[in-house]
Amino acid sequence: MIQVSNLSFSYTKQPFISDMSFSVSPGEIFGFLGPSGAGKSTLQKILIGMLRTYQGSAMVNGVECKKRTKRFYENIGVDFEFSTMYEKLTARENLQFFSSLYEKKPRPIDELLEKAGLARDADKRVADYSKGMKSRLNFIKALLHDPLLLCLDEPTSGLDPANSRTMKDMILEEKAKGKTILLTTHNMQDATELCDRVAFIAGGKICALDSPHNLIMSKGAAAVTYTWMENGERSASCPLKHLSSDKRLKDLIENNRLQSIHSSEPTLNDIFMDITGRTLL
Amino acid sequence: MRLRSLFLFDMRFQTKYGFYFLYTVLTAVYIVILLAIPGSWREKAAAVLIFSDPAAMGLFFMGAIVLLEKSQHTPCALAVSPVRAIEYMIAKAGSLSAVSLAVAALLALAADAKHLHIILPGTMISSVVFTLLGMIVATKTESLNQFILWTVPVEFACFAPAVLHLFEVTPTWLKYYPANVCMDMVSGHSPSAAGLLIVMAMIIILFIYSGFCVLKMWDHTGGAKI
Repeated sequence: MIQVSNLSFSYTKQPFISDMSFSVSPGEIFGFLGPSGAGKSTLQKILIGMLRTYQGSAMVNGVECKKRTKRFYENIGVDFEFSTMYEKLTARENLQFFSSLYEKKPRPIDELLEKAGLARDADKRVADYSKGMKSRLNFIKALLHDPLLLCLDEPTSGLDPANSRTMKDMILEEKAKGKTILLTTHNMQDATELCDRVAFIAGGKICALDSPHNLIMSKGAAAVTYTWMENGERSASCPLKHLSSDKRLKDLIENNRLQSIHSSEPTLNDIFMDITGRTLL
Repeated sequence: MRLRSLFLFDMRFQTKYGFYFLYTVLTAVYIVILLAIPGSWREKAAAVLIFSDPAAMGLFFMGAIVLLEKSQHTPCALAVSPVRAIEYMIAKAGSLSAVSLAVAALLALAADAKHLHIILPGTMISSVVFTLLGMIVATKTESLNQFILWTVPVEFACFAPAVLHLFEVTPTWLKYYPANVCMDMVSGHSPSAAGLLIVMAMIIILFIYSGFCVLKMWDHTGGAKI
């Protein structure tokens, strides 16, 4: 679906993206993870054909992005981080308009509004929507023409936990239908939960690329932390691989004196810091 | 079909923002003015009114429309849709010209003008020229103040020679100046073939250049500077 080779791009004389290579298979959720200004949105703009002055190759759906025609967009749905709706028009009017721009038969608007929890507000002007509602509306706009590739830029940004869950479920539903999804985010929990693979981007380069699980496990620092009462609450940690040799833990278990016990793995943020020396947030 | 959608949507957008209401009120005011002035002045007064308002409305309204769209980031959505710059421009020019035509027809009828078959095509052609000029200026500006400032030279270059031409105080060779050819038509005079050819050539050039400006605006929303 996506094949990027030796991609470089620059806004000024200084390189902004240097020598990136990766590929994304059909049906995969691929995450670009990195702090603000790392180059992840720029990379996404190249892949959706908005920035065409790059060097190297970026092929999407068999089309070199810099040579794309307008037909290229029949199969790409883009969800920007900000609202791209006509504010004085209602959500329904906006969706009807945008769906009329494609050759494909649009997906049922009411069904999409219902899924996004916006059915009751479908005839409300977008100007009267909250930030979270605009975010969800923007997302379903990207689904209208049933594209093969979805490019989502911070899709859960500004959403409350319930709506964030709704959004993530809808993203997973699209994946289940075989859609390829590019997710740009600095939210490590979203990336861990949604992405099949993530690329860590810092300083315009891919520093690591693997599945969230492999990246987390590669650090091998999983540990168990436990607490017990002994002149007040006390706690200790033990690496998972040395668990059987922790005599104190064994005693506490045998005497039923454990207060709590938790396993802990590093987060993607920990891994990101470990690899790049920078934090995601 | 996409062009039809864009055209109808532009009309809906203009309705929502009160453009048609404003023009209904303005047309009523203009008709009252035309009926109030002496009959012998009416035709020329109608020509000035048609040329400076309904025909030129695209120059000003395009600024309002494009700047509103920019403030709502909708050019981003259009940039990643199958919409072509030419479709975007035709829809905008067509929807604004339709209003221009309706207002011009009412004003011409109120002034009892005799050559509607020349006045209306003249209004249409002038409207397209002004709309494209407005689009070029609007795509290059970021605020209403900037837009107003940049339309001043355009207004001066279009209106001053045309009004002087209407009152026959310009040299003969200026009859081929595109704004003067448009004014000739709006005032009910048949244009010369050469004059019409010059205006058509100008429209083609404006179409090509404004298409380039629209693409640049769409690319700019993607962060690129050409």
